[in-house]
Amino acid sequence: MGRNETAHAPAEDVSGDTEEFDPIGTLTLIGIYFVILVLSWVYIYYIEFLGRDLIVVG
Amino acid sequence: MHIHAYEKLWLAASVLLILFLLGSVTYGAVGPGIAMVSDSEQAIDPGALDEDQRFSEPRVEQVGENEYAAYVVARQFRFQPDPIVVPEDSTVTFYVTSADVIHGFEIAGTNANTMVVPGEVSEITVETDDPAEYGLICNEYCGLAHHGMEGKVNVVSQSEFENRTNGGDGE
Repeated sequence: MGRNETAHAPAEDVSGDTEEFDPIGTLTLIGIYFVILVLSWVYIYYIEFLGRDLIVVG
Repeated sequence: MHIHAYEKLWLAASVLLILFLLGSVTYGAVGPGIAMVSDSEQAIDPGALDEDQRFSEPRVEQVGENEYAAYVVARQFRFQPDPIVVPEDSTVTFYVTSADVIHGFEIAGTNANTMVVPGEVSEITVETDDPAEYGLICNEYCGLAHHGMEGKVNVVSQSEFENRTNGGDGE
């Protein structure tokens, strides 16, 4: 039985799962995080930092 | 090695994100000309500021067309001169040094902010806009009355600046 499992599992890993596994939830979550990161950076750098008075130029 | 299509997608996105962050900082340096506080100034003797040409009499003076230099001394627990009066729409370089301990020089609510180290001269150049009154605070703990160490930076109109300078009380 044990021998059967060890022989079986790798064969399944290599050939089977790549196309079926479709982590759309993870993709969406990462997409949301990505958008939050980009928007925060745009706000922090371009609006808050560059928009302030007395920018140090030298 | 097989990499899932989604994984390729978010790997590419994170590389783009890094390029975007680096690109922003590059843009800031090239476009608006954001610069760091430089260490180009010579060291001076903090015990002999009264013999120093620039700091014996802390002041704002014109050094070029529409260019001004502000020589500021930070000491426990005040800034000299106070207020620092500079004209609008000009380029002002602050030369700040300390007579005693480490102080901070932060024009509140702006990006003008540097440490003030005894023996060193911090140099920051800013471009002033419309007339405004800014608070000036020490943001490095410098002693018992640190919390009360504050000053003012007043950006005034060109005519008011000339009046002050000619009137003799232009600090």
